[in-house]
Amino acid sequence: MEQRQLRPVYDALNIDNVKQALKECDRLLRKNPNHLSAHALKAYALARLGDTDDALEIGEKILKLSKSAANLHVRQALVLTYKFLRRPAEVIAVYNAAQKHLPDDESIYTSIFLTAASNEMFSEQHQAAVAVNKAFKREKYTWWIVVSLLVQSQFEKGPGNAQLQLTLAQRMAEKALQDHHVTNTEHLRVLLLVLDAQGNHEAMLSALSLNSPMAQQIANDPDLVTQRIDLLVKTRSFKEAIDAAAQTLDTRDNWIDYKLYIEAAVGAIKQFAGDPDAQQQVLSDTCERLTKWSHTRGRARGAQLATVELAAKIDVSGFSVGHESCVRSLGDQIWAYVDSFQNKAICYSDIMQYFVDNVREAAEATDSSPAISTALLDFHSDQLSQRIQQVRQNADNSEDSAQAWVNMEKIRYLLQALRGDDDPEKWIAGVDSFLKFGLDSKNAKAKQAASSDMVLLACQRLIQAMFLAYPRDQQKTHGLLTRAVFTILCVLEEGIRLNGENFLLKLYAIRLYLCLSCYSRARTLYDSLDIKHIQNDTLGYFIVGQGLALGCFIPDLELSYQGVSFYDTAYVTIPHELESAYKNGTYSNVPDFLEFNDNLKNSFQRQVSHRCALRNETIEQGRSKDVVEVLETTDTQSIELTDSVLASLHDNRDFKVMGLLTPLDMAQWNLEILTRPTPVHSAHWIRVFSFLPQVMHYVAVVDVEALEAKKGQLLSTVAEAGDSLSVYDKKIVQGICCIADIYTCSLEKTSSVDEKIDELVKIIDTGIPDEETADPKPTDLCKLPLSTIRDLAVVTEIFTYAVCAKHSASRHNLPFSNAFGFALTQLRKKALRCIPALKSWSNKSARSAISDSWVDTDQPMLLSDISHIMRTKHKQALDTVVKGCADSWLKSAKGVLAHWEQCSL
Amino acid sequence: MATIRRFKAMDLFTVNNINLDKYTETYPLGFYLSYMSQWPDLFSAAESAGGRLMGYMMGKVEGKGELWHGHVTALTVAPECRRLGLARGLMRFLEDASEKTYDCYFVDLFVRPSNKVAVRMYETLGYILYRQVIDYYMGNGVMPTEYAYDMRRALPRDVGGKSVVPLKHPVSIEETFF
Repeated sequence: MEQRQLRPVYDALNIDNVKQALKECDRLLRKNPNHLSAHALKAYALARLGDTDDALEIGEKILKLSKSAANLHVRQALVLTYKFLRRPAEVIAVYNAAQKHLPDDESIYTSIFLTAASNEMFSEQHQAAVAVNKAFKREKYTWWIVVSLLVQSQFEKGPGNAQLQLTLAQRMAEKALQDHHVTNTEHLRVLLLVLDAQGNHEAMLSALSLNSPMAQQIANDPDLVTQRIDLLVKTRSFKEAIDAAAQTLDTRDNWIDYKLYIEAAVGAIKQFAGDPDAQQQVLSDTCERLTKWSHTRGRARGAQLATVELAAKIDVSGFSVGHESCVRSLGDQIWAYVDSFQNKAICYSDIMQYFVDNVREAAEATDSSPAISTALLDFHSDQLSQRIQQVRQNADNSEDSAQAWVNMEKIRYLLQALRGDDDPEKWIAGVDSFLKFGLDSKNAKAKQAASSDMVLLACQRLIQAMFLAYPRDQQKTHGLLTRAVFTILCVLEEGIRLNGENFLLKLYAIRLYLCLSCYSRARTLYDSLDIKHIQNDTLGYFIVGQGLALGCFIPDLELSYQGVSFYDTAYVTIPHELESAYKNGTYSNVPDFLEFNDNLKNSFQRQVSHRCALRNETIEQGRSKDVVEVLETTDTQSIELTDSVLASLHDNRDFKVMGLLTPLDMAQWNLEILTRPTPVHSAHWIRVFSFLPQVMHYVAVVDVEALEAKKGQLLSTVAEAGDSLSVYDKKIVQGICCIADIYTCSLEKTSSVDEKIDELVKIIDTGIPDEETADPKPTDLCKLPLSTIRDLAVVTEIFTYAVCAKHSASRHNLPFSNAFGFALTQLRKKALRCIPALKSWSNKSARSAISDSWVDTDQPMLLSDISHIMRTKHKQALDTVVKGCADSWLKSAKGVLAHWEQCSL
Repeated sequence: MATIRRFKAMDLFTVNNINLDKYTETYPLGFYLSYMSQWPDLFSAAESAGGRLMGYMMGKVEGKGELWHGHVTALTVAPECRRLGLARGLMRFLEDASEKTYDCYFVDLFVRPSNKVAVRMYETLGYILYRQVIDYYMGNGVMPTEYAYDMRRALPRDVGGKSVVPLKHPVSIEETFF
């Protein structure tokens, strides 16, 4: 009967017609005002329609009624309501209310547990696990308790009793083991996690014993096999570890097992200190086994890299036990590996760290930079020079030979960086031959990966040389810098044209286009990489906020929303999958999912995406007077970030994605850092752009005291930030502070408002290009990408805030509003005169200006030869870059102009 | 040579060098996590000596009776890690689990016919073209709409090799649901 009555409501909800569902609820309630299910469903419909207060009020009233939650329809509707409103405590309250009347309903017990578990309510989760286990005594509920205690000990914030929780978890898990309730590897993994959290390696080993009833399942689980070897090493049972690893490596080729094997062997050698014969025996056995495995088909790479690892460990340990007989020096071993596997693309990344470790003398390292052994660098350079000529000559023969050359060139790059070579000429030496091979050879036409890699390598060298020759902070070389960036972009575009599958070429091109203030082309390349979902978090930093900084507000807003919506989805998805892990008994996922959830919830990029969305929204709304109302009513306080919140943010941004050839700690040679168009968003940036809407809120509500306080916080954050904020970010702060000053001067009458208005006008005015800047001479072309467009976008944003402030002043009849309005109107007039000139220039003259300044010029520069190659042999790529730049600047000019046109006073 | 181990949710932060490849789809979070929460032992990652992800494989088990089988949902290797036998290692990981843990009759997978390198590799691993699936792959602006090859390899439990007798006609997507 009730089901039939409610059918129209459910039908409407099923097709997402929530308004219709609400009407159906009201219809039912008119007939029967005490229809609890209709009330509950009405609460859900109201929640979905954004009427949170009414939804909560109805929910609260229903819950107070005796037995209401015992009704399935009421319970389901209220649970849905509170889940939708993200109120897990209320969801649990609904189930608790139901439980009083349905004490034997197991599903209610499990629902309480799963709600608590999926919402990280660790204490409630544990209590629910105990309750369900007590009531129904099932094996899986024992494990729910164990896992609850484990995660509570690891993830609960605030003062807790982790040790007690772990001890309890251990007791329960070990009892389960004794009672033969450890029936699958997931149970075993939970037990191991509990023991590991207590550092109880002996007990872990015992659980993984070969004699246990689980032995066959352990043997079939490669991770557990490896974990057992690891534990043997940790417990210094080196002989057993060696035997276990050797047995495993006889049947599979797994790097971690090799690594543990070497660690065990070196541990055993140390253990035999004072017994050179025993030491020699371990070493000989190790070498013999490695040699045997290296001769097994398909196993050579692992075994030989393990030999390098052995040499490295011996190198560090300082053994002198006659190991020269079977293990050569680390340097020799490295080159033996390179000789064997130089034709594999992975060779360089396999061996790079060993080169670095070998030449860095840890003992002499300082805090700032590790010392480098010149003798070892010379040794490696000598080894390289003996080989590189040969592989270069053979590169055309086959893809393998080409790959060998790529690997040798990567090693040359690394050695040069380790040497600290700051001569740009040396960095570009040989690049012409890279380009000949990468762009013109038959290998290139065949789209071989090695030829594409060679183009990338060429660009990496060119970028390195460019920034050495023309540092960004030296204004006198800006013309040469922009020309060099343009030239490298031509190489990258040609590489992309020949092999669009090489995403690294696109990533570098995105970076360099942004350095030239070309958002549109950078965005096209970014979109072609089909970046989505989790990649918003890890790769969004490449471009989010750049559109805002370059006048392309709407595209930037779309991208910011894409990021924000990803995080919102994650908010629902991860709890759901946490529930699944418990339901499916895959408990070992739980700590991993919780950590993952924490990383996303407290993601650095998430904060950045929100701030960018907020700024873009303000700019979009800045076209109307409504923005003042929005600023008045918006809860801006909740976005303030304290030091502790900022410190707890996780930086998930993937800074390694650009195929770097040097370790991350070598900042001077880190191309990801060098190619940043502006500093990547920092914690200071997040804080600054959290304060900014708050300042504007106080402007809108004319709260001068709060305004002053917030301005003070803003300025002190900027002072702390130093170079982690760009000059453009600082200019926005300057503009905002000036707006705040206008208010405080007016209301507190401390100084002349007119002076402050003049100051603000000056800040905005300096960013509006005058007629000369908007129509740059060829010699001044570098100013356009390096400052003009970014300055213009910044003052456009400041102007938006100023217009909001003016509207607020008018609403509150502040005396300066007319003068303020007049000043802003004059600025707008100038902008509407000059920006069209920039737009027209971008449309009609930019291409020829680029040709004159960056292509057909005889002025020498570091990359003149490369420029000549591109001009004479790869005109198509050159045209692409010219068009990409001109079109991008045009779109920026259009974006900014549209805003000024619509931003009325 | 790599470390082949279970894939973890935290690995999703470091898959870009693999997923930026045009043949590799980046799925919504729930897709990856649901595989982890249901079949954690069939979702494996290959990690380099330097700790970087080189590739991964998502798999599941499904079907009833003699159609109980392991399925390769996604197998991908970073461009610079190809021609190292990694895909074989990952496949072996799934085949071992399908055979020893789940006692399946066969393993199957779908692949784009245009991905000739992959098709050839599966053939060398003993997979045969069992049937073609009409318009299985929808175009996304980067990749075109395409049929799929449904390839299979029988496991020891399928003694007579019934699961790998090729069908003569292409089938629709609906016909591939278990």
